[in-house]
Amino acid sequence: MKRTTIFILLIFSMLLGACAPKSDMASAEFDLTDWDSVLAAADGQTVNWYMWGGSDAINGYVDKFYGETLKERYNITLNRVPVADSTDYVNQILSEKEAGVENGAVDLMWINGENFFTLKQAEMLYPDWAQAIPNSSLVDWDNPAINRDFGEPVEDLESPWSSAQFQFIYDSARMDADSLPRSYADLATWACENPGRFTYIAPGPGAFQGTRFVKGALFEISGDAAQWGTVDEVLWDEYAPQTWDYFNSFKSCLWREGETYPKDEYELHNLFANNEVDFSITQAIVGAGALIDEGIVPETSRAFVFDDYMIGDFNYVAIPSNASNKAAALVLANLILDPEFQAAQVLPENGFGLGFGIDVTRVSDSDQIAVLEDALANLGEAATPAEDMAKSLVGDAASPYQTMVEDGWREYVLIGE
Amino acid sequence: MKPSTKTLLRLAPTLVILTILLGASLLYGIAQSLGYLTIIGEKELNLRAYQNLITSQGTAGREFWVSLGFSLWVSLASTILSAIGALFLATLLNRRPSNFNTFALNWNLAFPHLVWGVFMLLLLAQSGLLARWAGALGIIETPADFPVIVRDRFGFGIILTYLGKEIPFLTLVILVLLRTQSEGYLRVAENLGANAWQRFRLVTLPLVRPALLSGALLVFAYIFGAYEVPALLGVSYPRMLSVLALEAFTNPDLHARAEGMAISLIIAFIVLGIAIFARAKEEIQG
Repeated sequence: MKRTTIFILLIFSMLLGACAPKSDMASAEFDLTDWDSVLAAADGQTVNWYMWGGSDAINGYVDKFYGETLKERYNITLNRVPVADSTDYVNQILSEKEAGVENGAVDLMWINGENFFTLKQAEMLYPDWAQAIPNSSLVDWDNPAINRDFGEPVEDLESPWSSAQFQFIYDSARMDADSLPRSYADLATWACENPGRFTYIAPGPGAFQGTRFVKGALFEISGDAAQWGTVDEVLWDEYAPQTWDYFNSFKSCLWREGETYPKDEYELHNLFANNEVDFSITQAIVGAGALIDEGIVPETSRAFVFDDYMIGDFNYVAIPSNASNKAAALVLANLILDPEFQAAQVLPENGFGLGFGIDVTRVSDSDQIAVLEDALANLGEAATPAEDMAKSLVGDAASPYQTMVEDGWREYVLIGE
Repeated sequence: MKPSTKTLLRLAPTLVILTILLGASLLYGIAQSLGYLTIIGEKELNLRAYQNLITSQGTAGREFWVSLGFSLWVSLASTILSAIGALFLATLLNRRPSNFNTFALNWNLAFPHLVWGVFMLLLLAQSGLLARWAGALGIIETPADFPVIVRDRFGFGIILTYLGKEIPFLTLVILVLLRTQSEGYLRVAENLGANAWQRFRLVTLPLVRPALLSGALLVFAYIFGAYEVPALLGVSYPRMLSVLALEAFTNPDLHARAEGMAISLIIAFIVLGIAIFARAKEEIQG
């Protein structure tokens, strides 16, 4: 009986402990228009940065480049919190909102367009800051690819980190560069000449790469990407069925005859590395470089793009409205945009390998320009040639198309009939 | 049997905690399935999520009936095959009791379903170990020549994984029961001229039936609601209800959470319904 009592007390004290307010809450006040006050408030804070932690290379890059600098220059401790899936911290923030937690665990988070949409819908994003931090002057906020995320207006709720563009990966030991398909039309032909050797990621929530691949086909079939920047039902009704026809036309030529599809990038990389299929995909400016370093794809892997309709976009960091250390989060978001770190993030040997978040033409310091140009000149041989990337670059479609493409693909291509 | 006051008192601490924690979550889950989504300021209760599912509307609704059928197929097939396999194995092992048998069965229980699933994937996938050996031996030329055993349209891979886990579990349940019974029944039956099949049907089966039934019910309830194995070994379509529920729940559009919760509750009610039905049937027969 005594043991039971102790057990009950233990459980209740644990429950109470979980409900107790955090003692280390930051009370530092700051004024966003006065950057020095932000720096002063951030002094001594710990910034809890929640991000996808599935890549050792990226984790190492973040700790080495941002972690050490934050400590040395601003006396801020970086606590990188690695999470398996960004949906997890989105859910944490949503639960905190429901529970009325005002001093949230997350200070800064790396989010994609889907998470952004969710948190914006839940009104859990700290507002009016992205264009107030000093380095935002280096960001081209007039570019629709930046002021909209997966088509959803950014509205000053998040700040860019890096850029990415859809590319394919092939193995130069298996295939000759001349025999690569250079359009969606080519790809269908290629797939049926090489049955079972191609597949793509199933479009759906959490698998935006698949959705993006399908959107590219929609763009090519309709002959123009820009017209999809706004929702147009007539346009959709005209071209969506043609897009499903296109995918169905070579479905039986796919890996597993289109009966099932890889559900994420890593499953596709696996199939590619195991020589089950001949193409994988990437979004990184260094192409296959970072993946080669991690040993995920063969060393002879190279990136390439079609001649057109390769969707490019930016990825961002955002601050939850209940963040405990907003000042430190702001300092970190600003540091990310610093030309020095923007140059560091594109170099393949540093492990991150995504493109610039800033507009390099806005940088005035000649030393910084030299560093940035030098970085671009050293992307490694596994990268897609820069002129191919630029020629094929298009922006994403308006945000409602995300779900329309995902639902339509499932209904008319995956399930069919 | 009615529990005594003393038993109830002893159970009270656990019951209180369970009722508070489980009851509160359950109520909240029901509220969310009825569209009570405070995160986006929705506080009006309605049956839209259930309507969407039943009439096949919306992202999750379109696949609801297919997923329900698929879940039932996988769970029932796994449960029935496990029960048959376990009955067979237990009868066999009961003849030659040894510690090794029990160890061999226990050993398997230590693995979580997820680990077992990954093991099956590494072994049986088209790029798995077996496929590679077959390739090295020249039996198949490319990975695609290896038969599709896991990640197949009919859920065979999922069923196979569950069989590997649940047959040892149910065998243990039956063995424990058989070993506590005296061998007398079987001897008497044998003396009276019963053959092996008659001994099994008239002695062993009635003895283990209640335990096997509750064990099978546990297995069914577990499989019907489990997520990890179908997520790992399933195909893009059809998907089991649990996979569909989580996808709806984590959909970027928060409105889809109502459907996700509704599916979860439907899973719970189906399991509950089957449990009550089985109990009722048992009481009539027992």
